[in-house]
Amino acid sequence: MLSVEALKIRYGEVEAVRRVDLTVDSGEIIALVGANGAGKSSTLGAVAGLVPAASGKVVFDGADITGLAPEAIARKGVALVPEGRRIFASLTVADNLRLGGAVHQPAAEARVREEEMLELFPVLRRYHRVKGGNLSGGEQQMLAIARALMGKPRMVLLDEPSLGLAPQLIDTVFDLIAELRRKGLTILLVEQNVALALEIADRAVVLANGEVVLAGTAKELASSDLVRQAYLGA
Amino acid sequence: MIAQQIINAVSLGGVYALLALGLAIVFSIVGLINFAHGELMTLSGYALLASLVLGFPFPMAVLVAVSCGALAAVAMERIAFRPMRSASVTSLLLTSFAVSSLLKVVFQNGISARPQAVAMPGWMTGAFSFGDFTIGVGPSISIVVSALALIALEVFLRRSVTGTAMRAAAEDFDVVRLMGIPASRIIATAFLLSGLLAGLAAMLWVAQRASVDPLMGFTPVLKAFIAAVVGGLGSLPGAVAGGFLLGIIEVLLQATLPAAIAPYRDAIVLSGVIAVLLLRPQGLIPAVRVQRS
Repeated sequence: MLSVEALKIRYGEVEAVRRVDLTVDSGEIIALVGANGAGKSSTLGAVAGLVPAASGKVVFDGADITGLAPEAIARKGVALVPEGRRIFASLTVADNLRLGGAVHQPAAEARVREEEMLELFPVLRRYHRVKGGNLSGGEQQMLAIARALMGKPRMVLLDEPSLGLAPQLIDTVFDLIAELRRKGLTILLVEQNVALALEIADRAVVLANGEVVLAGTAKELASSDLVRQAYLGA
Repeated sequence: MIAQQIINAVSLGGVYALLALGLAIVFSIVGLINFAHGELMTLSGYALLASLVLGFPFPMAVLVAVSCGALAAVAMERIAFRPMRSASVTSLLLTSFAVSSLLKVVFQNGISARPQAVAMPGWMTGAFSFGDFTIGVGPSISIVVSALALIALEVFLRRSVTGTAMRAAAEDFDVVRLMGIPASRIIATAFLLSGLLAGLAAMLWVAQRASVDPLMGFTPVLKAFIAAVVGGLGSLPGAVAGGFLLGIIEVLLQATLPAAIAPYRDAIVLSGVIAVLLLRPQGLIPAVRVQRS
């Protein structure tokens, strides 16, 4: 469904990503793991169109989407839930959701979709008229995910969904991710918490210093010595 | 006398508020102070003049003039600012100065450097009595128009998808684009609204003065800029509050200052601005913008 080929990303003189190749098949969860600064978020940014690729290619559903504007990529069915949630703090939960589904479907369908989201995230129904900035971190993460799902994407890019959340909330968010996959959504997950990511993913790609150092099924990686020593603390 | 001064104060404040709001809308989305905003006003003034000379009925002429302001703002964005989109804020600022100078020269050489009289309908300069008070028709219309424009804008920003997206874009433009909403639509709408407001302000300004000249937009937009900064740059409620505050203070000082001190009115107003900014550097009602590294 998605393939990233020989992606290179530069910020000025700094090479954030030297070479990343990965593929995501329909219905899979692929985890992109690695230390801080390994190039995980930059890779997601390049897929979503927020970060320009210095070279390489991003192909979605057979079409080359490298260099397209973020709004064009979003319309093709790829939704990014950005790191740090980035919900619209001064807008109500309702308005955040409304924007999420504004351009992908007629208004009537968007209302149906919103109802589905409120069903899936009851906390958002409770705070429907509350400003996004007044929600707690976990609630904001729910809102960010629901907002991305409003546009009925076929693929979701999740950037550090566990960041800054209390342990129980992390469980809730990851249960939700598993549930979304069961519903057929394809997910590319960036996560610093490697143990957690390997638990939920089908396959994983390990990045270090902007390069893929290891790739395989989640099971293989969880038992690989490199991953165990470097990331799982075993 | 007092009632008349209050009406004048609110009416001038309303014009400043419309202009400051136009500056603030564009700033909140693009991060640009559009110094060519005054020329949009001047252009609308000339469009009114031309429409009246061509014999259009007055309401029609006003409609044409305001539309010209709005379309000119959109054209300005297309021609001058869109090619500069990835450039630094300083480059954008210089571009807006260039556009402003260019238009001024076009007005001076293409029309005339001297003020042109605009034949406003007679009833505009009239007055009506209200009990013991005599109130000017012009300033009253100005207040009503400003109020209606502010309400319409508020409804647009709250209710419509594009308006909501504009409020969101002021906070985090990239994420709005991630929702599939085109950046160019948001930016074009911001300029369209700012041009509409400049056009309306021009109508109210010309109504009080019955003439247009190439530098017409300069002073009011300079004041509007001050109002926007006092209110909190990029904050829409701040721009409105700053505009009314500045207009009201100006008129009240004009009315109450002894003749010997009156020439210092602008100096006193600007000292007040400095005082406000010393106490509240972010302005009276600071803009919400999430700072990111």
